[in-house]
Parts: sequence; C-alpha cells; structure tokens
Amino acid sequence: MDQFLQALINGILLGGFYAAMVLGFSIIWGVMGVINLSHGEFIMMGAFMAWLFSEPPDYLMEQLKFEALNPIFTYLISIGYQGMDPFLSLIIIMPVMFCFGYLLQKFLINRVVEKPHLVSLLVTFGLSITFANISKLFFSASPRSVDVAYTGAIRMGDVTMSNIKAIVFVGALIMLSALYLFLHRTRLGKSIRAAAQNKNAARMVGIEIDTVYAITFGLCVALTGAAGMMISPTQAVFPYMGPPFTLRAFTITALGGLGSIPGALVGGLVLGITETMIATFVPRIGTNLAIVASFSILVFILITRPQGLLSGLRPMEMEEGT
Amino acid sequence: MSTQTNGNNKPLLEAKDIYAGYTDFDILQGVSLEVYPGEIVCVIGPNGAGKSTVFKTIYGFLKIRKGTVIFDGQEITNKRPQQILRAGISNVPQLRSIFPQMTVKENLEMGMYIEKDKKRIAERIEYVLGLFPRLAERRAQMAGTMSGGEQRMLEIGRALMLEPKLILMDEPSAGLAPLITRMIFENVERLNKEIGLTVLMIEQNARQGLEASHRGYVLELGQNSYQGTGQELINNAEVRRAFLGG
Repeated sequence: MDQFLQALINGILLGGFYAAMVLGFSIIWGVMGVINLSHGEFIMMGAFMAWLFSEPPDYLMEQLKFEALNPIFTYLISIGYQGMDPFLSLIIIMPVMFCFGYLLQKFLINRVVEKPHLVSLLVTFGLSITFANISKLFFSASPRSVDVAYTGAIRMGDVTMSNIKAIVFVGALIMLSALYLFLHRTRLGKSIRAAAQNKNAARMVGIEIDTVYAITFGLCVALTGAAGMMISPTQAVFPYMGPPFTLRAFTITALGGLGSIPGALVGGLVLGITETMIATFVPRIGTNLAIVASFSILVFILITRPQGLLSGLRPMEMEEGT
Repeated sequence: MSTQTNGNNKPLLEAKDIYAGYTDFDILQGVSLEVYPGEIVCVIGPNGAGKSTVFKTIYGFLKIRKGTVIFDGQEITNKRPQQILRAGISNVPQLRSIFPQMTVKENLEMGMYIEKDKKRIAERIEYVLGLFPRLAERRAQMAGTMSGGEQRMLEIGRALMLEPKLILMDEPSAGLAPLITRMIFENVERLNKEIGLTVLMIEQNARQGLEASHRGYVLELGQNSYQGTGQELINNAEVRRAFLGG
C-alpha cells in the first residue's frame, strides 16, 4: 500500500511537470496549427541555460573550451560570481527564450503557417536536428547535471516527496494558472484565442495575425524553456534529451485536447501516474515498459477519440489553412 | 417597407465605376452604387455577377483597378481593412465569423478589438445586448453552442460594437432556414428604424432581401443592370423572371 501511495505521489508530481512541459506544444498546435517537432529541443535549451547559469564560471571555462567566451568568464570570476540558483535563472531564461521564439516565428515559421501541414512539420523537424547539433557543438555530448542547494525530501508518514519535485510541481501549477488567466482575462490573451478559433474573423475585427502568432510562439517557447529548467535538476542534461519530451507532448495533447490548459493538466497527470505505476510495479522491464505504455495510450486515443478527451482552443482536426 | 426619403442628402457610400478582378480579367466592369444614410440597400444578381466582389473591393480585401469609393465624404479607395473599419464600415461576412469557444460577451468585446478603452467597451456591450434580448439572455454562453440564427445575430451585434455608420452584410440568409432568415431580416429592419442603421447587403434570396430593403441594385456580368426601390424591382417583369422565380 505504501509503495502504491509513493508511486501515486511521484506520478502526480511528474504529471504536474508534464502538464507544464506540454503547454507550449499544445498551444502552438492549437493556435496556429503547427506541430512543433522542435519542442523537445526548447526544453533542452532551457535545461542547458539552467546549467550555464548555475555553474561557477571557472568550471564552465574549463568545460566549454570556447575561447571567445573566456573574457566573459574572466570578468565573472573577477566580480566573484559563483553561479546562481537554477530556479532564479528563470528570470533570464524566460525572456531570452521569448525573444528567440518571437524571432523564429516572425522570420521563419510565419512563412510556412499557411502551407500544408507537412511543410511546417518538416521545418520544425529540421529545426530540431539543427538545435540538437548546434548544442552538441557548444556543449559536447557529455551529460551535465544541474545542482541545487536544497536537495532532500519531505517525509510524510511512510511516503516521501523530493523537495525539488515538489517545487517543480508548485511551479507548474503557477504556470498553468497564470497562462489560463492571461488567455482569458487580457486583451492580448483573448486575441490569441480569437486567432485560434477563427482566423478570418480575427483578421476582420482588426487583429494582426502575424504579430499574434509571433507573440504566441515566443510565449510558448518561454514556457517550454522554463519547463526545461524545471526538469534539469532531476535528469541528465545533454543535446539529445529533447525527442522523448516531444513524443510525450503528443500523447498528452491527444489526451487533453489542443491548447486546453485543464486538458494539459489531466493529460499530464494521466501520463505521469501511468508511467510511474508501471515503472514501480512491473519488475525489471517496468521503466522501459512505461514509455511503451504512454505511446500505446496515444495510439488508443487517436483511434477512439481523436478530438481529445477535453475540448481545447479548437477541435483536433486538420483544418484547411485558408 | 418602401419609404425612401433621403434622396436629397449626400450619399454615405458612393462607389463609382468600379473595375476589379482576381486575375487579369475584370469581374467588375464599371459597377456603381450609392447608399444614403438610414437606408437598407440590397444587391441581387445571379451567381458570378460580382456581388461578393463588390464587397471585397469596398472593404479593401481586393484591389480596385479603376474607379473610386467615397465614404462619408472621404475617399477610401483601396484602403486597408483596418482603416476602413476605423472609418466606420463594419462587415458581416457570409462565412461563420463568430469565435465559437468564446462567450457571447467576449465575442462582442472582440468586435471592439481596435479600441482599448475598457469602460467604453463595457458600455457598448450593454448597449448592443440591449438591442438583442436573445443575446442578452445568453451572454455567458459559448457562442458555438447557439443556433445558427442566434450566431448570425451575434455577428450583427459584434459589427455594431464600433458604432459603424454603415454595415455590409454578405448574404445574411446563407445557411439559415427560411423562418430564421425572416427573423434576421426583421431584426435588420428594426435596427434600421430604431437606431437608423444603414445597411448594404448582398442577397441570394432576392425576394426576402428586396422586401426588407428600401432600394436595390441588380448586377449582371459585373455591371449594373437594374436599380430601383425594393418594391419596384419586385414588380419589374424582367427582374421577376430572372431572379424571383416568375
């Protein structure tokens, strides 16, 4: 029973992270109909940025072997900077990722949004390979770990809850509710929803679709980068860590509906709990079977309920890009 | 309805000798029409006559090659849709244009997207809901769950948000049952009387459209062929034979 309770708690904590992780993917798909295959690479970038900001500069100088950056590291050493808490680095990661996403949409993806799905699919697939390999060039393929000062766990009776996972869970809930309020209460948020629901009507009432798309993409990339930071203390950070997240994002989006925030939470929890339960209770092959299970869920849902379990920004259908 | 009194005023909208088309070929070959303040004007004609194209050119979605559009004393030929919206022309397109997963209230709010004054938006929402009691009852309902007729009224309500001087309606009856169409036309006539709403509409459903209008234009092959009061056109033997089913 304790083992079950422990697995359930771990599953819920993991599910909360999954919910935050999937937001960017789900909203980009829901708003502009682009399936962003480079989603996992934005997580990887967030995680690497967390690593960069958390390590002391002398260690980075030794690890990166990147002559051009040495003056920056030397300067940072001279002022006595020793790296910052990874969670604190979110205040840099999110704006940087926002600008990156905004520009990417403005100069690249806006050109393919109106084209058939295959075009944007290939573009984002190409981006994912590009980003992963550029990261390998910069950071090498060795796995990195991000350390925080407050490891340890909260003990409640016979079950424990890791500090970091608990913080990530709370952070994920904050992200979900902040985004929900933004989309429903602000003028900009409403214009994003309007563009998702009826592009022509949105244009008619005076919404500049290209700008709304660029802001949406920037926002989603910022959220995804934040999710990358949040996962970095609990798993290895390396250039090819992205694809499993992209694949999970598919499953969760299928479960929850395109662009649906409550759906992301439900989908994330279902997947998180399923994976943890299988990993705990199936001997030996459990960990690998968990991933098999999550994609079996995806296939099952696509066959039985392709519109998703909850309704989102718009129904899951391949809309004609008119 | 056949009272038409504004003959002496200056026209609110004046399209003069418009030429426009999608390819090299001009779909519109010298179309002219006028709308006076307080009028409901209906444009009828067979498929391919260029009815929708007229709207697209007025609204800046399609470039005018020759001719001018004057609105409220200002030339608006080939201005961008947003400028035309600001000049005071709203548009109710033929295709569904509501935001289905937004509430009725949010849909109305989006009608005033180009304005930022929250207080004024709230006032306009209450005003428009006052004009449409059916919508007022459903203000918190998701627009996509309403009936087709209610959605059409919401589109009209949203077009009214910016206090337009003129509303363009592209086939208000499209996809609606005859009874619902009648209700929509009744509402347009009521708004015309109550708040002096000026309307230029295209109608496939020529008889109902003309009955609800003060004046009408018949387009054929991109040119004006007949014009007159709604009743005159309905009684005109040629028009009857061609468009009203005998």
